[in-house]
Amino acid sequence: MLIAFENPLNESPLAFPILECMHIVGFAIAVGTIALVDFRLLGFGMLRQSAGDLAKAFAPWTLFGLVLVLLSGPMLFSSDPDMYYLNLSFQIKMVLLAIALIFHFTLRRKLLRGEMSASLGKPFACISLALWVGMIFGGIFIAFIVTPDH
Amino acid sequence: MSLLEFAKWVQGTDWATYVRMSAYLYPAILSAHLSGIALFAGAILVTDLRLLGVMLRNQTISDVVGQLRWPKRIGLLFVATCGLLLASSKAEEYYYNTFFRAKLALLALVLVHALIFRGGVYNNTAALDQAGKIPGKAKLAAALSLVLWISIACVGRGIGYIEPPLDKLHAFVTGATAGSLR
Repeated sequence: MLIAFENPLNESPLAFPILECMHIVGFAIAVGTIALVDFRLLGFGMLRQSAGDLAKAFAPWTLFGLVLVLLSGPMLFSSDPDMYYLNLSFQIKMVLLAIALIFHFTLRRKLLRGEMSASLGKPFACISLALWVGMIFGGIFIAFIVTPDH
Repeated sequence: MSLLEFAKWVQGTDWATYVRMSAYLYPAILSAHLSGIALFAGAILVTDLRLLGVMLRNQTISDVVGQLRWPKRIGLLFVATCGLLLASSKAEEYYYNTFFRAKLALLALVLVHALIFRGGVYNNTAALDQAGKIPGKAKLAAALSLVLWISIACVGRGIGYIEPPLDKLHAFVTGATAGSLR
């Protein structure tokens, strides 16, 4: 069945850029707070606090950033779903997003609560940073690669 | 040399031309620019939220602001390097870009912000810790810093929305021809 309706987002030329700004500010807050903890795990930055304490203090802000990103992202997607769905960079980004979120809220969280061996700190920090940076590359390249006809 | 001539000269250098002509170098540097923003933003956010008394209240201001000074510098250096490469590669086009001009103006305001608040706030954290309450000027500095950086991020995104003025550009046309030959 064909569903024919206009996405209200596509009626205003300002909707998309405003959502994009929300998306950028959101990921800067989320990834920014996550990265500070990862760098602490690697031995850089705020060394006078423990990584666990930093993660605890930053957690509400990380969550706030993630909420901004996860609210604006699907709305941006809805402006042209076929294009995003078929775009290789978008597909990679979504896989990385799923892995990053699961990793963040399971293994990495356990480590920061001291429930795992501290020797995993550095590898976990590298995995976390690689996943989030990979997502940023995936997001940018959506607009720079050719999407198959749709 | 006028500003426009300077823009044309920068854009004509080998490395700027290389970034412009390459299909994937420009987006790769743009991605690095944004990745750098993420780390830089974290350090600024935590500094400013501590000054506002919202985050890490059980740690002294000196401790938080002091430890984040170098991460901020490294982050800014990285982001600015990527930004300069991006700007140089399309300098002539960006010369006409209103959002690009607004971004430069906002970055100049960051400098003004630093000149105004450096002595009294960011380099004066021991005194801030001794005051019973966080002084208003520290909170004002932090709030303005957050507003400035968020504006810079949004205005930066706006740069990509302005169509290049094709009638005024010559290098862009050369780039387009090279692209179509590939």
